[in-house]
Amino acid sequence: MATLHIVRQSAYNTDDFAQCLQVLNTNDVIVFIDDGCYNLQHSLLNTIESSKNIQLQVITQHASARAVSINDAIFTKITMDDLVSLTFENDRVITWQ
Amino acid sequence: MADTLIKSLALLNTKAPYSNTAGKDALDIALIFGSFEQKVSLFFQGDGVWQLMAGQNGSIISVKDYLKTFAAFEFYDIDTIYVCQTSLTQRNLPANFHIEQVQVLNQQAFAQQLTLHQTILRF
Repeated sequence: MATLHIVRQSAYNTDDFAQCLQVLNTNDVIVFIDDGCYNLQHSLLNTIESSKNIQLQVITQHASARAVSINDAIFTKITMDDLVSLTFENDRVITWQ
Repeated sequence: MADTLIKSLALLNTKAPYSNTAGKDALDIALIFGSFEQKVSLFFQGDGVWQLMAGQNGSIISVKDYLKTFAAFEFYDIDTIYVCQTSLTQRNLPANFHIEQVQVLNQQAFAQQLTLHQTILRF
């Protein structure tokens, strides 16, 4: 019973990402796309409890277009096709934009 | 007699490059003023600092990369470009820009520099 969270805004600009973290449940998946890629080094990430087993993923092209480096230890690199299959694998999808 | 402020325009950029046209709009106005030899300065604050980061490539996400046009600044005599140090630190970004002559100012100096301009447009 997991939720896919699609984050499209920079947390330096809006509090969408902060709100997303407030409704996070165990085994949820967060995908950063578009301006969400600016969150890859945001301090909010440290507030995610590891016990919740949250998967953090990012669209590789969107990050590299913005010259944002991806830390492979924390984030899984995916493509738009992977994002489509993720929407099927999870029970519901919330887009934070 | 207070030294009258020469007519000068400050463009305050606060948005990231690709997801909206704010950066592109500000660039257009900067080049228009430059082509009429008006004094214009560029300020980058908040998410706007991302417009200056080196290594970006809009074509990867099939977006027309207006950032490349920043290289034209010297032809338009636009050489007063300021970026806010606090915004860089918050985003832990190095001062690694894709154009030269960018002056990194601390928050107070940044604010002070802004007041030297008669007209300020924020994007």
